[in-house]
Parts: sequence; structure tokens; C-alpha cells
Amino acid sequence: MGEIQGNTDKWFFKINPSFKFLIIDALFIVYLVVSNLNTMIWAACLFLILYLAVNGFSARLSFWLIILTLWVSVFSSTAMIFFGQGTHVLFRWYLVVISEESLARGTLIGLRTFIFSLLGLIMASTSRPVPFFYSLMQQLRVPVKYAYGCLAAFRMLPMMAEEFVHIRQAMKVRGLRQKGIKAMYERIKRYALAMLAQSIRRAQRTAVAMEAKRFSMTESRTYYYEIGWSRMDLLFSGVIVAVVIGGFLLSGWFPLTPYTHVIDH
Amino acid sequence: MSKSTSRKLNLTDILVTIVVALVFGLVFRLLGPVYDLVKPFGLQLDQLIYGFWFIAGPFAALLIRKPGAALLGEAAAAMAEVLFGGSGGIINFYYGVVQGLFSELIFAAWHYRKFTLSVAMLSGFAGAIGSFVIDLFYGYLADLAGWNLILSIVFRLLGGAICAGAFPAVLVKALEKMGVANLVRPVSKEDYDVLNK
Repeated sequence: MGEIQGNTDKWFFKINPSFKFLIIDALFIVYLVVSNLNTMIWAACLFLILYLAVNGFSARLSFWLIILTLWVSVFSSTAMIFFGQGTHVLFRWYLVVISEESLARGTLIGLRTFIFSLLGLIMASTSRPVPFFYSLMQQLRVPVKYAYGCLAAFRMLPMMAEEFVHIRQAMKVRGLRQKGIKAMYERIKRYALAMLAQSIRRAQRTAVAMEAKRFSMTESRTYYYEIGWSRMDLLFSGVIVAVVIGGFLLSGWFPLTPYTHVIDH
Repeated sequence: MSKSTSRKLNLTDILVTIVVALVFGLVFRLLGPVYDLVKPFGLQLDQLIYGFWFIAGPFAALLIRKPGAALLGEAAAAMAEVLFGGSGGIINFYYGVVQGLFSELIFAAWHYRKFTLSVAMLSGFAGAIGSFVIDLFYGYLADLAGWNLILSIVFRLLGGAICAGAFPAVLVKALEKMGVANLVRPVSKEDYDVLNK
């Protein structure tokens, strides 16, 4: 992750990572219960602005990620738009029946996906793994074994990627690229087994080495990085509250569609 | 290192589970865009391979054979997907936790003593049910036309049992043959019997 984050000086990097994680998780609950289409439209616009303002990716990467997110969001709504129930039919073609209700519901689902993706991108683009897991240990009291386990696992990612390339090359040299369903199943299995076996062996060796050095065998411990709180956390809460409330207010002032309640749970 | 007889997850178990989850998380991330491309056809065919999303839980449980492995594995895989910036974003973490929990329940029902193909398939099946719980809140399910909803449910449950149940069982079986699985297994009765011979 570290390499693709261009400018790590942005203020979103300085927010307490656990706090950021919890807030973004809570936002997820908020937008899961919203069934007012107008609110979702405004919230999506505001979060898009927020994402563009604070994300840690380079401009080009964030542009393509937005395009990808839009694509995913549009298609997460297609099943509902084409096959949803509704009485005011707009378009009918064999099994595909598009009605006003299904269109509104589908759009809402697409916007939900869009907002959740943006939240995920904000989180992913402005969090570095090391402070994140240190913060999990210090603020959320996640057991040291789990947090360091994650950190150790993250360090193995480049090795995994390299291994993947090796396996692919080895198979190419041996002419193992056949077509057909059975060959594809065999190929997936071969990749998975080679990757898994090597990863499990490596993880086990690492754990043995850590325990040989008496890792986490004593109760009290100190941390190399102390993750604390700062004014940025206050600012962050302020911005998020403003965005959320702004979305609700704007949808009240400027309702763009007549649909205020489109999903019944 | 001594192989502990306790049923609590030790450092080796945790590290192995997380690393395995990362491998799957990486696969999720790579598979995600492909999956998103298949989605638009709308006939819910994508649901057949949806099961690959629950694979980490049953796989970890079959490999480690201890309580909590399935939940940890699936949650870590989902977390990895979020941190890699996977499509769908933060919601994947919740999906992971709920799916892992449902897969875990199946192994718990057999007191973590039975790790056969059928139990694995049930566990994948349960993961699929877990995913529907969140789908229900998301609004993917409510108000879909009846036939489409049934198609989606049948395909996903089937896919869950096969992709997240049978497939990991085959993988773990192969890993046993390779001698990798017993690096991380708790000591069993048979191991003691060997010593007594």
C-alpha cells in the first residue's frame, strides 16, 4: 500500500487510525438505514467532494478509481432495475421489466455502493498499515498477537506477489496453459496449492522464530510508536458530521426526486 | 516449538490464519473486477461463483481445526480486501465478519471434532446464508421479482457449498498429503498412539 500513496502529508493521515476506522464503520450503518433517494444523492455528491479533497492517491489513480467505482455502482443496481417489482412500468422486454419503483430502488442501491466504496477508498488511501495496527493495539486493545500477526503477514505480501510470478513463469515454461473447464480447475488448484503451501510454511517458521524470542509471552510491553490523539481528530469529526448533516439538510431543501422512501426492510 | 494441546489459538495459528486470509484477500481483490464484469448480465449467474467470497472461513477452520479460526480467517480476508481498496468498500468487512460467524457456527455445532467434506459444505452453505443477512439490509433482496430472487438464492447457496465448502476441503486434503497441514494441526489422539507403540 505504502508506495501508491503519493503525498502522506495530507491531514487525513494524521487522524488517529482507530478513530477513523470506527467513524467510517459507523457511517456505514447510517447509510444502510437511509431509504430516502434524495438524501443518498446529496450524500454521494458530498462524499465525492470529500474524497477528492482528502484522498492520498495521486490524481491519476484517484480518477481511475472513481471511474471503476462508478462502473461497479451502476452494475450493482442492474439486477434491481431490470427485475425489481413495481406497478408503473416504463419499459418491458421479455423478462426485463423496468418500473419507476424498481428504477428508484436500483438507483438507491447503486448510490449506497458508491458511498461505501468512497468511504473504503478514503480509509484505504489515507491509512498506513503500521500506525493502523499500532493504534488498534493501543486504543482498541486488540491483542498484540493478532495485531503483530497482521503486520507480519503484510510484510509477506511482496514475497507472495513474487512467488505468484514465479509459479506463472514455471507453468509457462512447462507448457501448462491448456483451455477448457477441467484445465481451468486444475490451474486454479495448482496456483492455490503452491501459494498456500509456501505461505503456510513461511508463516509457521516466522511464528516459531517469534516465539523463540519470547514474543508476547510477558504481560506488559512497550511500543516503538505511540499513537495518540490530536486536533485533527476533532477536525475530522467536525467534517464528517458536517457532511452527513449537510446531506440530510440539502435533501430537505432541494429534493431532486419525488422518492423519499423506496425500500421496505 | 511444542505443539500445544490447548484449543486456544496460539501465535502460529493466528499467523497462519492471517497469512492464508491475505492470500485469499489478494485473490478477492484480483477476482473482484472480473466478478463485477460478469455481474451486469443480471440473470444472477454471478451468484454461482459468489461462493469464493466465503472460502477463507471454512478453509482456515479445516486447516487449523480450532475454535475461532473460521471467524478470524474470513474477517481478516475481508479486512485485507478493504485495506487494498476493493470495490464495495467498507461493507466487505461486515460481510466478512457475518459470513465467518455463520461458517464458524457449523464447526461449533460439531464441537470442532468433525472436519469432513459434508461439514465443510454445510459451512460454506452457512456462509452463504450469512451473506444474505447483510444483503437483506442492503436492499438487494427486498422487492426483487420472485423468480429472480429464487434464482439468486439457489445459485448462491449452491455456489457457497461447492466453492466455499467442497473446494477448500479438496485443497486442505492436498495440503495434508503435502505434509503442510500437520505443521499447524493440534496434536490428536493418533499422534499419542504413535508414541506409545
